[in-house]
Amino acid sequence: MADSGTLDAKIEALTDDDLARGLDLFRSKLGAAGAVWLQTCVHCGLCAESCHYFLTDHEPQSIPAHKLEQVAAAFRGRYTLAGRLAPALTGARPFDRQLVRAWVDAAFGRCSTCGRCSLNCTTGVNVPAVMRAARATLTEMGLIPADLQQVVTTALETGNNMGITREDWLDTVQWIEEETQGAVGDPAARIPVDRQGAQYLFTVNPREPKFFPLGLQASATVFHAAGADWTVASEGWDLTNYGLFSGNNAEGGAIARNLLGSMERLGCRTLVIGECGHGFAAARWESAEWLRQRPGFRIMSFLELMDDWFRQGRLKADPSRITDRVTLHDPCNTVRQGGISEPQRDILRRCVTDFVEMTPNRAENFCCGGGGGQLAMAQYRDKRLQAGGVKAEQIRATGARIVVAPCHNCIDQLMELNREYKLGVVIKTVAEIVADALVLPTATPPAEGNHDVAS
Amino acid sequence: MPTIDCGGRQLDVNEEGFLLHPEQWDENLATFLARAEEGLETLTDEHWAVIRFIRSHYEETHGAPMVRAVCKATGLPLKRVYELFPSGPARGACKLAGLPKPDGCV
Repeated sequence: MADSGTLDAKIEALTDDDLARGLDLFRSKLGAAGAVWLQTCVHCGLCAESCHYFLTDHEPQSIPAHKLEQVAAAFRGRYTLAGRLAPALTGARPFDRQLVRAWVDAAFGRCSTCGRCSLNCTTGVNVPAVMRAARATLTEMGLIPADLQQVVTTALETGNNMGITREDWLDTVQWIEEETQGAVGDPAARIPVDRQGAQYLFTVNPREPKFFPLGLQASATVFHAAGADWTVASEGWDLTNYGLFSGNNAEGGAIARNLLGSMERLGCRTLVIGECGHGFAAARWESAEWLRQRPGFRIMSFLELMDDWFRQGRLKADPSRITDRVTLHDPCNTVRQGGISEPQRDILRRCVTDFVEMTPNRAENFCCGGGGGQLAMAQYRDKRLQAGGVKAEQIRATGARIVVAPCHNCIDQLMELNREYKLGVVIKTVAEIVADALVLPTATPPAEGNHDVAS
Repeated sequence: MPTIDCGGRQLDVNEEGFLLHPEQWDENLATFLARAEEGLETLTDEHWAVIRFIRSHYEETHGAPMVRAVCKATGLPLKRVYELFPSGPARGACKLAGLPKPDGCV
């Protein structure tokens, strides 16, 4: 394996000083709560069957408690008295090359930081937080898989994680604006760029303009139908933030600043995060922490906004247009870790006739297998597709023809699962469903911003 | 390191089947990858138009083109591009054109 070969070489080259420094780094990233979590596991084993990795590979190394133990063993050996005095009795281990390999395997190779194990943990250990601290340590030691770091680096260097130029972005926005106007039959359907003082700044995942712009078109259709005062930004439009996955808070903060910068530059009132799980979690919950700065504006998911508009009667749907059975995937970072669970369901119930839940669902739903940056790390591809087997069977059991996933990252994994497990489903965003079901205003839409009360 | 055997040529690929050395690409390889990776038995003129455009764009810029540019250059509607390559423009078309895997959520 190309990258793990390089990683192996880097691990071999670690000096004793590097290893000592690495463990100190980990301690500095862990925080007080994290240190408690490392001591809290009671080995009850409930986490095993909560994890999509263990459920599909049945390897002990995939049990969340085992992953936690790799990290805890090193910590205990250095920072606890019992661990220093009696390492054998406490399971303390030196932070050596072998243990570093186990950290890489646990934190990058067998964890999508989905948090389902924590929800099912007897003692409430925040496993994703510990895994993220381990990732942060490995990243700072130069032991992050190169392709994952590359996504962060591209975002830092170019302002978006695919290196799309300003010219290409604006060209695609204009194209999609024309497509939207054609589709809704109204030249007033615009995608405003850099509109000063607009109520909503809408942000997207670069995957949309680059390869899958129909999602952008659907979102633009919804904004148009709601008569909203909105804009996209010519710069600082990428909602993704792979600093969440690399664990590097400084880089995560620098990327988050791009969105804050557009909000300040344009003077918009609400930052709307398009359908992307980790992007929402990073912008809404993590960035203030990373930047040590509270944003002076509201940050909301596009799901919440669309739901508000339906409630206010600004959007109307005709569910009889979508009669195929529809099910809904709950992205971990939107739902379990993001707190957005009902808006997407309320929307779907208005837009389709046959909506069925997966089992389990909402906060208990399983990760698609592509979260936590797994899609970016080629070396773990086989494991990722295997771990996605739980999701594939969840989908199959619903008998649905359409899977709705409010996350572009999940969608990419679901597309692969669709082929790998021969599911024969169509995968769509919530906005795509809404756009298909929308009853568009026939008259000229209301003037922009004149009755906007959502925030 | 994973390799593929294309008519006796051993080529290094990453774990997702993208070429590690994009300069090794030729049109025979596109036909081979179409069958092996995309389940496409034959490549039509429409496939070739997309693949050749992506390849020439890559050779010029060392990056993958926007799907906008693909549609503009080939005259194909967007939905047709998705029909032609079941895995989509990135994992499908770009892989067949011998590009390294694009960054981001793909």
